[in-house]
Amino acid sequence: MAIYYFIFGVVFQRGTEDFIPFLLVGLVVWQWFAQCVNHCSAAITQNHALISQVNFPKVVLPSINIVMDTFKFSIVFSLLLIGLWVMGYPPTLSYIYLPLILGVQFLLNYACGLIASMLIPFIPDLSNLLPHLLRLGMYGSGILYTVSSLPESAQNILTYNPMIWIIQSYRDVLMYNQAPDIFNLAIYGCAVLTLYTLARLLMNKLNPVFARALMQR
Amino acid sequence: MNERKKSAISLKNIRVTYRSGIPFTRATSVYSPLKDISFELYKGDSLGIIGRNGAGKSTLLRLLNGIIKPDSGKVVNHGHRTALLSLTVGYDQNLSGRQNAVISGMMMGLKKRHIVSKLNEIDEFSELGSFFDQPVKNYSTGMKQRLGMAVAIHLKTDVLLIDEILAVGDSRFRKKSEAVMREKITSGDTIVLVSHSAETVKRLCNKALWIENGVVARYGDSKVVVAAYEESQK
Repeated sequence: MAIYYFIFGVVFQRGTEDFIPFLLVGLVVWQWFAQCVNHCSAAITQNHALISQVNFPKVVLPSINIVMDTFKFSIVFSLLLIGLWVMGYPPTLSYIYLPLILGVQFLLNYACGLIASMLIPFIPDLSNLLPHLLRLGMYGSGILYTVSSLPESAQNILTYNPMIWIIQSYRDVLMYNQAPDIFNLAIYGCAVLTLYTLARLLMNKLNPVFARALMQR
Repeated sequence: MNERKKSAISLKNIRVTYRSGIPFTRATSVYSPLKDISFELYKGDSLGIIGRNGAGKSTLLRLLNGIIKPDSGKVVNHGHRTALLSLTVGYDQNLSGRQNAVISGMMMGLKKRHIVSKLNEIDEFSELGSFFDQPVKNYSTGMKQRLGMAVAIHLKTDVLLIDEILAVGDSRFRKKSEAVMREKITSGDTIVLVSHSAETVKRLCNKALWIENGVVARYGDSKVVVAAYEESQK
């Protein structure tokens, strides 16, 4: 985080005065997402010895990583809240939206983690590509800059990135004391829930296939 | 022998094919260890599966346990719980033998309370002594297998699937574990045992299944089948 601050805040003179909290909020929630997806992606391939010996629902494996990363995130996030308070952003009434946004992001992380863990056994080479995709995602999620400061054409492309909206909502609630758009939140929540349900259904469908896929490589 | 027994698991025209290569494209190599297997496993039987290396014996056990599904044919399990007995399942290198015994037991379908109550017996049977409370990474191969065996003898399921594990440890330990296994087998549990050693199958099982070239070569009384198998190997 200090590195990002140095490069963008000092070298490029990009930083406005609230650059540190701005950066922190974005990075902390992005890290939660990235860690979940990254750790989940290896979950099924790593436990291939166990899968070939015991019959159990494979959804357990990525879920372990989700729980672990969420626990780590909960500590970092509490520190972030304290840090924001110290930096002059005390808790406000709009904090009541926080559980909603957290819940939506949790489902998004879970769904993306499941999908990553399902793909890797079939396309092992994807695990080399994934860190780069995540890094690309990080630069494309408006963590180091505000999306609204970009040219129109770039903004249009970035609207398809689901993390932008989430990070924007966190900043609205935590820094600017603004309620996020409830209507958008509802639509977004439904979309994420659908994605999650699809991922779970696919997981159940593929349950007996993983053992084979891992054995016949 | 002619009494009618209840069928526990029945297999009908099972075929399993392993493909390798890029998924969803033409496979680069196709290999079917099991081509057309049909047999009934009856309740209370102890069935020995014999066959040469790569005959598909372990694949058959995985099918019975439901870890994999056949490419064609049907496995019908008439409501029995199965457990594939494997010695070092779910071991964490950094945990002690005691903790791993609990984890491994739970992986194979035991209640945590049950396995914890048996820990003293496991300690005694495995003969690990002070190593029992040391991390598994300090164990020798034989020690790990002894621990696995000590846990395995406490397994309680409807159908127990055993993959070549009786040949563990030195000859004294082997005798001890075989005695316990024999007790389990003769107590009327349903057991499927895979072994390279025809001798073991003859001693421990009442039925035997001989797989050759992906089909059932012989199925029936173990003494008859093993005799035929040994004859063919000469």
